Order: sequence, then C-alpha cells, then structure tokens
Amino acid sequence: MAVTTCLTWMQEKILQNHFGGKFNLLYKASVHKFSLEHLLQKYEFGIDLTGRKLHISANTSKELGLLQCESISFEECEVFRCEDILNKRKMEEVTELRESLWSSMRTYKPYGDLVHQIRILLLGPIGAGKSSFVNSVKSVFQGRVVHQALVGSDTTGISQKYRTYSIKDEKDGNSLPFILCDSLGLGEEEEGLCMDDIPQILKGHISDRYQFNPMKPITPGHDNYVDSPLLKDRIHCAAFVFNVNCIEYLSDEMVAKIRRVRRKLIECGLVHLVLLTHVDSMDLITKDDLIDIYRCPPVKSQLEAVHKALGFPLSDILLVSNYTSEWELDPLKDNLILFALRHMLGAADDFLEDLPLEETREMLLAV
Amino acid sequence: MAVTTRLTWKEEKSLQQLLGNVSLRLLYKSRVHGDSPENMLRKCALQGSTITVIYFHNSQQDCILGYLTVIDYDFIKPKVFFYSSFEKDETSKTKAACLNTTQKITDEELTFYSSDNKIFSVIPKNSRLFIHDALRERLGLNLYRDFKYSEWKVFRLEGIKDVAGYVSNRTRATERRNELLEDLRAYKPYADLVSEIRILLLGPVGSGKSSFFNSVKSVFQGHVTRQAAVGADLTSITELYRVYPIKDGEDGKSLSFMLCDSMGLDEKKGAGLCLDDIPYILKGCIPDRYQFSPHKPVTPSHPTFITSPSLKERIHCVAYVLDINSISNLSSNMVAKLKQVHKEVLNCGIAHVALLTKVNNYDEVLQDDLLNMNKSMTSKTQVMNIQRMLNIPISNILMVENYASELTLNPLKEVLILSVLKQMLRAADDFLQDLPEKTDEIANFQLCM
Repeated sequence: MAVTTCLTWMQEKILQNHFGGKFNLLYKASVHKFSLEHLLQKYEFGIDLTGRKLHISANTSKELGLLQCESISFEECEVFRCEDILNKRKMEEVTELRESLWSSMRTYKPYGDLVHQIRILLLGPIGAGKSSFVNSVKSVFQGRVVHQALVGSDTTGISQKYRTYSIKDEKDGNSLPFILCDSLGLGEEEEGLCMDDIPQILKGHISDRYQFNPMKPITPGHDNYVDSPLLKDRIHCAAFVFNVNCIEYLSDEMVAKIRRVRRKLIECGLVHLVLLTHVDSMDLITKDDLIDIYRCPPVKSQLEAVHKALGFPLSDILLVSNYTSEWELDPLKDNLILFALRHMLGAADDFLEDLPLEETREMLLAV
Repeated sequence: MAVTTRLTWKEEKSLQQLLGNVSLRLLYKSRVHGDSPENMLRKCALQGSTITVIYFHNSQQDCILGYLTVIDYDFIKPKVFFYSSFEKDETSKTKAACLNTTQKITDEELTFYSSDNKIFSVIPKNSRLFIHDALRERLGLNLYRDFKYSEWKVFRLEGIKDVAGYVSNRTRATERRNELLEDLRAYKPYADLVSEIRILLLGPVGSGKSSFFNSVKSVFQGHVTRQAAVGADLTSITELYRVYPIKDGEDGKSLSFMLCDSMGLDEKKGAGLCLDDIPYILKGCIPDRYQFSPHKPVTPSHPTFITSPSLKERIHCVAYVLDINSISNLSSNMVAKLKQVHKEVLNCGIAHVALLTKVNNYDEVLQDDLLNMNKSMTSKTQVMNIQRMLNIPISNILMVENYASELTLNPLKEVLILSVLKQMLRAADDFLQDLPEKTDEIANFQLCM
C-alpha cells in the first residue's frame, strides 16, 4: 500500500494537458482510510467517502456528458496538488545543464588531435529537417534564432548545393570544433541525392557549394572535385535525419534506399547516428516533456518503431526539436540540440580511434 | 517559507546515481513544519519509502548526509541505508552503506540502533547529529562524533516498484563493479606467455557480437561508445574481421585483452561467415580488417595472410554469442553450423564459453549472488539447451545485456559485462596453462598447426 497513483501515464498526461500543470498526489482514499468527512460537499457535486458514492446533480452531469445518473459508486479517490512544472527551480536546473553542456562543447578536443574540426554529415529524406538542424545549432551558439540555411518544404529538396557550415561561438568568437555538412535530401526514385555521390562526399572529394545533379554523380575533373583529400577533409560522423512523425509513412523504396546508404557508410567504416526532429509536435508531448524526453512512453515506442523499420540500435537514436517557428531561444530545446551534438562528437572520436594507425600516419604526413 | 527543497540539481543527480531514476517529493521540512521527530512522523506516516536528507557545514563545504527508510510490507522493521555526499570542486561523490537497524522515536530524538549499539541519532533540541565511529568510517566522513546540522528534510520516493531490492542491488552492484574493474585492470595473462589475450566472438547474424565489444568499451570508457557499427539487417552488418584493443578510460593504457569480432554466421549456405575461414582465424592467420567473402574462404596466397602466426596472434578463447530469446528457434542448419564450428574449436584445443545476450531480466539474474548467474529460473531452460547442443559446461555459459538500447550506463549491466569478461579470461588462462611447457615445444606446437 503505497501512496502512488492509479492513473496511467496517458491518463495523467491528458489531464495535465487540459489543466496545464503537474499533479502531486496528496491524498489517496485506500491508503489514508476512507474517512467519515466528506471531501467536497456541494449541491451540484458531492463525494461520499463512506459510501464510496459520487453524487452529481442532473445539470452538471448533463454538462459533463455523463449518463443520467444520480449517484455513481467509485473504487478509489485521489487528491492532487497542482504545480507548475516549469517553475523557477526547474528552469535554473535547465540553465545549469545548458552551461555544463556548452562548456564541455568548448573544451572538446577531437581524439588524439588528429583533426581540428569534426565534420558531421547530415543525410535523410527531403524535408526531414537537415538544414533546420544546421540553423538550430547555429542559433544555440549565436544566442539568437538564425535562418542561414534555406529551409522549406518542397518536394524536390530546397538545398541543391553541398554546403559546409563552420560555426562561431558568439561568446569568444572562436570557431567551434565541428563543421556541419548539409547535403541534398534523399528522394524517391531518381530524385534527390545521387547514391554514387555519397562515397565521394564521405571521402572528402566534394568541396563546399558543389551544385548537386540528381541524374549525374560528380566526376574527377569537376571544379568542385578535390583530388586527394586529407583526413581533415573527410566526414568523421554521419547523422540520418528523420521527422519523428513521418517514420510510419516512409515508402518501402525509401527504406531500402536508407539501408543501402547505411551499408555504404559501414563499408567506409563511418560511425553514424540517427536524429529524430519535430519531437515537440508528437501527440501528447508538451513543452515541459522536453526536460526528460527520452523517458516519455510515446517517444519510447517511436524509437522502437525506428529500430524495427530501419534496424538502427536504440542507443544510436537521438531526439531534437529544431528552431523553425520560434523567435526566441528556449533553453529546453538548446539542451536537446547540445546533447545530440555531444553524442555526435563522441561518435566521431570512436571513428578516429578506429582508423588504422598506418593510414592515419600517412594522412597526417600529407598535412 | 514555502515547502520547497534546497537540494540543487547537482545534489539531486548525485542522489539519483544511488537510487536510479526516481523522483523525490518533499514531505517534511524541519524549518517549516517544526523541528521535532513527532512532527516528522506525523507528516511522513503512511507515505511508503522515504529518504531523509540532513544538511550541514563542514570545513567550508556544504555537505549532505542522510538515510533511506525502505518500507515494503513490513512496517515495523524498515531497512535503512545510510549515505553521504560532498561537493568538492564540482565533482560530487556519493558513498553508501547498508545496515540492519531498529528505529526509536521519542519527543527529543530520533535514534537508530544496530544490535543494541546506538549508531545514529538526530537531536533537534540543540540541532545536533550523532554518528557512530564505524558508520563514519564506512561513509568516509572526517568529522567529530557529533556536530551541528542546519536543516533536515524528508522526501517520498516515487517511480520505482521494489525500492529495497533496487537500492540494495544498485549499491552492491556499484561496489562489485569497482572491484571487478580493478581486477581486470590488473589482469595479466598466465605466466606472461602473451601480452594480450585474444577473445574471438562467433555467432549467428545479429546476436550481438559487435554490441558486446561496444559494451565492454563503454564500461572502461565510462560513457556509451559506438565504435563498431551495430544494428539489425537481413545480412551481417559486420563484414570485416576486426581485432579491437581496449583502452582504459582513466589512464589511456591498453588492457591485457583484445576482442576479435567476426562476421555473423548465416543459416543459408553461401551467406555469412565461411566455415572454412574459421580454422585460419583460430590459428591467427587472418589479419585485422580482413574483408570476409561468404563465397570464397581465405587462402594462404592472400596478400595479407599471416603464414606463421606466433602464440600471441592466435585466439586464446572463443565465445559463442547467442541471443537468449532465439535459442529455441535456431534452425537445424544453424545448429549444424554451430556444431561444426565447435568441432574446429575443440580440434585446436582452444578454451570456449557461450555468451547469451539480450537478457532482459538482468536484475533477476543478479539477484542471489552477483557472480552466480545461473540461478534464474527463466533462463535455466535456455542454459540447458545450450549445454545439450554444444556440450559446454554450465559454468561457462554466461549471460549479458548489451548497451544497445540506452544512452546512460547502469552498474547492474556493467557487473554482468565485467563478470563475463573475467570468466572468459579465466578460461583463456586455463588454455595457456594447458600448453606444452617448454618454449621450444610451444614453437613446435605452432609449426604442426
């Protein structure tokens, strides 16, 4: 007999979303004894604890859409205290967490100092939020919402060019230890990123601002073709970006395409992660859930769905909410973005550590 | 004065290290509700398991100390765990001790007795705490016997079902993990015959071979790593033969063992790891990063083929990695393949263990004795199946839960992973011990292989 509620997560969530607050269980009839006092006694609405009956006047029950019934017997009665979830103390914690994530990002050094900056490649279906993620990361470090990479929803993919973004920290003006590489989205059939371009991007043969051609992969001799890329020019970590709400609607063709791309990455020995965007627009998820998003039941089931559909292990799936419609920064979103970045840099370290010693030495000598 | 907590986020996190992901609800605050045990009792009765936090000041440091009262069904004798926590240069460490005590509450003080000795008491009259020497030692407190506290609070624990089992498992697991980590860091192969033990992972596609490497690396690094690509697909994700050295996260030194990851076995013919490759892998003829081909086994004419491998290049222990949930559904082809592989391993006289992965009820596996993993009834039938199939002694059938579904480390999982490693190294030591004694004989032994 413990003071824990019988409400399921779903039921509690629906109530919370309705009233906008958190509930703190104060009283539970079966634990604190069904006492003689009436908890609430009004003509319209009464709870009879001894008889375990609920009295509702005809008017009220009509308003609530209940069946016409004078008294309803119940099994349990719980009383909650309403609290604001995002209270001052919680927000202080969130800001503190952001500071610690931010400073760990500043002090980050790639494994063995093999490179100065980690190149992170963003891959994924058209409109999944790759460019929005670039903008969001930029926003976090600039301290204001920026829209540098063109973002939009079109069927052919807005980013036609291969872009690499090095981001500056607004506090000290130094470049951050990573570069985000934004590619053309993967499309159905012949649309979108050309599969043969992927190994070229991974090895660093393609330079910034290359104009993609969905029909024709890049060939040596092109203006944007780098003949002998160094270790610092190649991709060190890849992230598959998906819209969390569109996982079920991925076509079989797209799934097959993603699996093929993944095979290519494994062939190149590249470490990769999955980034799910738009978590804030999932059903039942409200802003305050972003504090501990990985533990929300609907999110968990969605992670399982990604694992089943695409075969990625659960620990490789990260969640973010991009800055798309906001004007101001939100520390909760910042934390998710920084947390995801932190894991990407860790994955890049794993990749650098995995490189064969002789190969790295050659590539470093070439520098 | 509102009923709000003074615990900072960091303190709450350090408590969560001990307790897991629980949420704390403030029930009693001495400054608001009146500093007396009676008031505390009135507020905290019938609330289930509670945790008491006492704040005090010790040589310019804010410290917290407290105890956990766990009530399951036995209301008379709550189990009590004591813990202490300090903040030193932003790194806070929590120490805990588990004691069987009896609680006594009077108007003036709240006291705990352990076999008639007064070991801990809170005296609100003059805001003082008393702690017995033995307890102080176990918590690593360097204080006087009694000292002044500033405030105390009681929280209700929410979010875990079996609090007593959970906390005792967790505190014991953390202690055990640290012991095992020390053991494995200090491990040296038998008689220094080789500098590193090579453990080969073999098993069906998707059974968790690469995940096991990632898990081992994560434990030693202190955070979840993903060096080897893992996941589910129809064919094996791993196509290269990899020999992974493992580094210690603390000093960056390589440990005395390596994990060798191979391509998965496939039930179809002409897919997955080629059986003819196995003798060469066992003898150490195949180099790191060799690209497997399901149709074409390696031949001595391959450019990177190692023609005369030494003792240190060969495999010293083989682990058959199997998904515990799929053991009863293994196809007859797969079983035949595994038996054939096992025959090769026996021919070479190499030590072998079975490693069952994806054990979801690892709490249960660990319940009785942290090392004796085979007590659990649910996995017993599977263990028997394996024993019948491959004829491996039960003591060498091990179980783990890999880090493939979480972003944070868990001491319970780590104990399993480390104990499994230790058992593998023991098996490898037995193999080394079993080798012909004289060095020239060892050389001969290699030649005739």
